[in-house]
Amino acid sequence: MYLNNLNPSVKALTILGLVVALALLFDPVTPALFTLVTIAVTFLFGDFRRKYYLFYLIPFTIFAVGMLWTTIAFADAPKNPSETVGLIWWEVPREDVLVAVSLSFRVLAFATMSLLFIFTTNMVEFLLSLMQQLRLPPKLAYGIMAGYRFLPMLTTEFRQIRAAHRVRGMGQESRWKRYRRFAVPLLAGAIRKAERTAVAMESKGFTGTRERTFYRNIRVRKKDWLFPAGMGAIFLLLILLSLRFDYFSWYQGQL
Amino acid sequence: MKNWKLKEIVVMSVLSVVFAVVYLAFLPVGKVLTGFFGPIGYDFIFGIWFIVSIIAAYIIRKPGAAFLSETIAATVEVLLGNAAGPMLLISGMIQGLGAESAFAMTGYRRYNLGTLMFSGMMAAVFSFVWGYFQSGYAALAGGYVLLMFVTRLISGAILAGVAGKALSDALAKTGVLSGFALGKEKRKKHAA
Repeated sequence: MYLNNLNPSVKALTILGLVVALALLFDPVTPALFTLVTIAVTFLFGDFRRKYYLFYLIPFTIFAVGMLWTTIAFADAPKNPSETVGLIWWEVPREDVLVAVSLSFRVLAFATMSLLFIFTTNMVEFLLSLMQQLRLPPKLAYGIMAGYRFLPMLTTEFRQIRAAHRVRGMGQESRWKRYRRFAVPLLAGAIRKAERTAVAMESKGFTGTRERTFYRNIRVRKKDWLFPAGMGAIFLLLILLSLRFDYFSWYQGQL
Repeated sequence: MKNWKLKEIVVMSVLSVVFAVVYLAFLPVGKVLTGFFGPIGYDFIFGIWFIVSIIAAYIIRKPGAAFLSETIAATVEVLLGNAAGPMLLISGMIQGLGAESAFAMTGYRRYNLGTLMFSGMMAAVFSFVWGYFQSGYAALAGGYVLLMFVTRLISGAILAGVAGKALSDALAKTGVLSGFALGKEKRKKHAA
């Protein structure tokens, strides 16, 4: 699928650029439509487990709906209180609704963009691309790759420590003390493992210099530019649309 | 990156990955506190989000440790998925720069409690200035903003500086840091 084969650096920089652009504006139309476009693009051009995507999207949606509700309920005194909109059985100032919708969809737009990246990008390919396209030092990149691998191992380690404590009859104290009892052995074990990993890498000839070859070469091809061009064009189109209907404004620090 | 040992880089990334998970776990805590106290809620525990900078810098003691660790932690947070999305990456880098600036000002030579607390406070200053422009504290009353700032400074000094040092010292006691700057310093003190 197109998104999965897209050069990860191009993808990451495009998304970062769009997020920064989106953070600068404040209107209800652009982020709302852009959220829908992002979800559509993710589903059309990405290959991933659909169920997990929804599983991830639900908490974000709940968060956005909560934000919508609190912004309307706790809004400042509006400038034009006479303009109201009927919300089911409730009359609310139009201005408050617009601010609330803008804020909620901003959050959702950020979330769907990061989901687009997370669901269609392989972490190892991303780091390889960062090294080959954006000149990230290999020492750092492979160090991070090794560190990232520890995440699933930590869960196993945690269970082991819990079991070890339990056999020795601990676990009756307060929650706070329990966390402290886990923190030190968990971190100490991780550091010990990290040191061993580093020694293993070096003993197999890893020097960390930039003058190295890669088994997998990741390149930027012509069709990779389609993504930034396409997303940028859609974004501009939405801004024009929002200007046309007079919703557009810059972000001025609305809470 | 040349004068970094590989094991230092791997340990720094492991710490970043672990604390990325901790950071994510503290986001809902902040949300609850905000529910009780208003926007100031986050500032009570804001120091937590600087802690990896202080721990990494205190253990490894090389230029860049505070900035890189916080940046990696923010990246991992984004990759694991959270509501702030990619904007978090920028906040993380700014916090890391703040913490780093304190160590740069001391010439990367002093790593006592005062410096670590100062580092947590600098991270608070940087993140607050960024937050002021980015998340609209300008809309709040001046006195309240000042109170938020002071709260975040104290939180940075205590939750990042004091707690970060305590955790690192507890780790050093186990002996796993014997190959790192902090462990070497402890051994020297012990021998003397």
